[in-house]
Amino acid sequence: MSATTALFRNELRLTLRTPAIVIWTVVIPVVAIIVMCSIPGARQPLEAFGGLSVVEAYQPTLVVFAASMLALQMMPMILGQYRELGFLRRLRTTPAHPGNLLAAVLALILVIILVVGLFLSTLPLFFGLGSVGRQTLVVLLLIPCAAAFLAVGALLAAVIPNPRVASGVGSATAAVMWFAAGMWVPRAVFPGWLATVADWTPGGAVASLLTSAATGAAIGWQPLVCLVAWTVIGFTVAIRTFRWE
Amino acid sequence: MPIIEVNGLRKTYGAREVLHGIDLTVDEGEIVGILGPNGAGKTTAVECIGGLRTPDAGAIRVGGIDPASNDPRLRQILGMQLQQCRLPAKITTAEAIDLFAAFYPDPRPTDELLERFGLTSQRDQRFEKLSGGQQQRLSVALALVGRPEVAILDELTTGLDPAARRDIWTYLEHLAAEGTTILLVTHSMEEAQHLCDRIYIIDAGRVVSQGTPDELAAAAGGQSISFLPSSPVPLDDLLSLPGVTDVRQDRDRIVVEGDAAAAQNVLAALTTRGVTAGQLRVTGPTLDDAYLRVTEED
Repeated sequence: MSATTALFRNELRLTLRTPAIVIWTVVIPVVAIIVMCSIPGARQPLEAFGGLSVVEAYQPTLVVFAASMLALQMMPMILGQYRELGFLRRLRTTPAHPGNLLAAVLALILVIILVVGLFLSTLPLFFGLGSVGRQTLVVLLLIPCAAAFLAVGALLAAVIPNPRVASGVGSATAAVMWFAAGMWVPRAVFPGWLATVADWTPGGAVASLLTSAATGAAIGWQPLVCLVAWTVIGFTVAIRTFRWE
Repeated sequence: MPIIEVNGLRKTYGAREVLHGIDLTVDEGEIVGILGPNGAGKTTAVECIGGLRTPDAGAIRVGGIDPASNDPRLRQILGMQLQQCRLPAKITTAEAIDLFAAFYPDPRPTDELLERFGLTSQRDQRFEKLSGGQQQRLSVALALVGRPEVAILDELTTGLDPAARRDIWTYLEHLAAEGTTILLVTHSMEEAQHLCDRIYIIDAGRVVSQGTPDELAAAAGGQSISFLPSSPVPLDDLLSLPGVTDVRQDRDRIVVEGDAAAAQNVLAALTTRGVTAGQLRVTGPTLDDAYLRVTEED
C-alpha cells in the first residue's frame, strides 16, 4: 500500500468519525433533494423560476452547497489543523512527504463531492424527473465543478495559515457561492449586472452549467472557462504559497 | 565508524545566531545524549541533523547523506521523534502505528511496539483520549516503527512516570545492542547517566563539554568525605594530606573535600592516630555537578 493510499484510508476513517462533516455535507443535501422531489408542487415548472421546477432550480444549488462546505470550510480547517498540530512536520521525518497527505485530503474531498453530487443528480430520476441522458451529463460535469471548488479551498488553506480564520473565510466565501448559485434568491430573478458577476464565481458557474445540462439547454463556453480558470489560478497560487510548518 | 558526523554547524534565526559551530560525532550502535539548559540550541541542532532545518554553515552527514539534500534515503534510515508534535485527535493508537508502518518497506509489527511501549490496552483508544505520557510513548514508537538505523529522540521521557521511563530505557538499550544508533536530547541527568555512552553538553550554541558520563562527572571535581571522629582531630592535619583541598567542621562531623585519592589518605591518617570514622560517607561527583559547573561558568 502506498503512503498516499494509507493516508487516504486514514482520512476517510477520520472523516466518518466526525459526524458534523457527514451530516452537513452528505445527509442534509441528500435529504433536502428527497424531500423536494416528494412534494408534487416542487416538481411543476414555475413562472418565477424561469420555467424551472423547484427541484430543477435547487438541484445545482445543493451541489454548490455540499461542494463549498467540503472544499471551502472543511478542507482548509483539516489542513490548517494538521499544520498547527505539527502533523505535517512529523510526516516530513518519514518517507511519506506531507504532499502525500495533501493529495489524500484533496482526493477524499473530491470523492465525497462526487458521491454527493451523484446522489443529488440521480435521485430525481426515481421521482420521474429529468432524463437519464441529461443526468449523465450532469454527473460528468461534476468533475470540473468539484475541481474548481477544491482549487479555491486549497488557495484559502495556503494563504491563510490559521485554521479557524481559514475556515471562517471559507464560510463567508461559501455564503457568496450559495448566493451566486441562487440559494436565497432564484438566479432567474437576478438583475443583469448581478447575473454577470455571479456567473464568473465558481458557485454561479456551477449552477448555470448544471442547470443547462439538467434541462437540456445548450451548454455555453462561459461557465466551463470560468471553472477551468478558477482551478488553474487556485492550484497555482496554492502550490506556490502553501507552507508545511 | 561514525554514522552521524557534524562539523562546524552554525544556524542563525534572523539576527540571532543560535548555534556557533557545533562539532559532534556518533558511532554506529552508540547512544549519545545532548544535554543543555533551555534555549541552548539542542533542538535546533538535532533538527538540522534530521534535515528539518537547513544549517547556515557547516557539514552534516547521516549515514553518508547530507540531510539538507532532501535525499529520500535519509527518511528510510532515520527515525525522529519531535517535541510538541501531535496526531489527529480521532486516530487510535494502533491505527497511528499502522499508518506510519505503511510508509516503510519492513516495519516493526504494531503489536510488538504496543507491547514494548505499554500501550496494548490503549490500542483502540483515540489520540485525544490518551494521557500525556501515553501520547509521548506513542510518539517514540512511531519514530522506531520503520526499523531506523539512526533514531533521534527529542525529550524522550519528559512527563513519564518512573516505571514507564525504565521500560523505554530498557527497550532503547535493547535496540542499541542490536545496532540502532540513538541520539537523544534530554533534560534528565538520570536519563543521560543511565542510558548514554557519551554526552555532549551544549550551552548558548556551543559544545561546552563532552565525554562519557563518568568522565564528565570526574572532571567536575572530587569527592566529599564526612564522618564522626571517635576523638578530636586537628583540621589542619587533615588539610595537609595529599589530595585534600578543603576541611571543615559541620557540627560533630568533619567534612573533607578532595580528589579521588583523598578518601584513602584521610582514612589512613585517622588509622595511624587510632581514631575511627563513625557514620562514614563518601560521595562521588555526579553528572549534575558536571552539568551545573559547565553551564554556569559564564
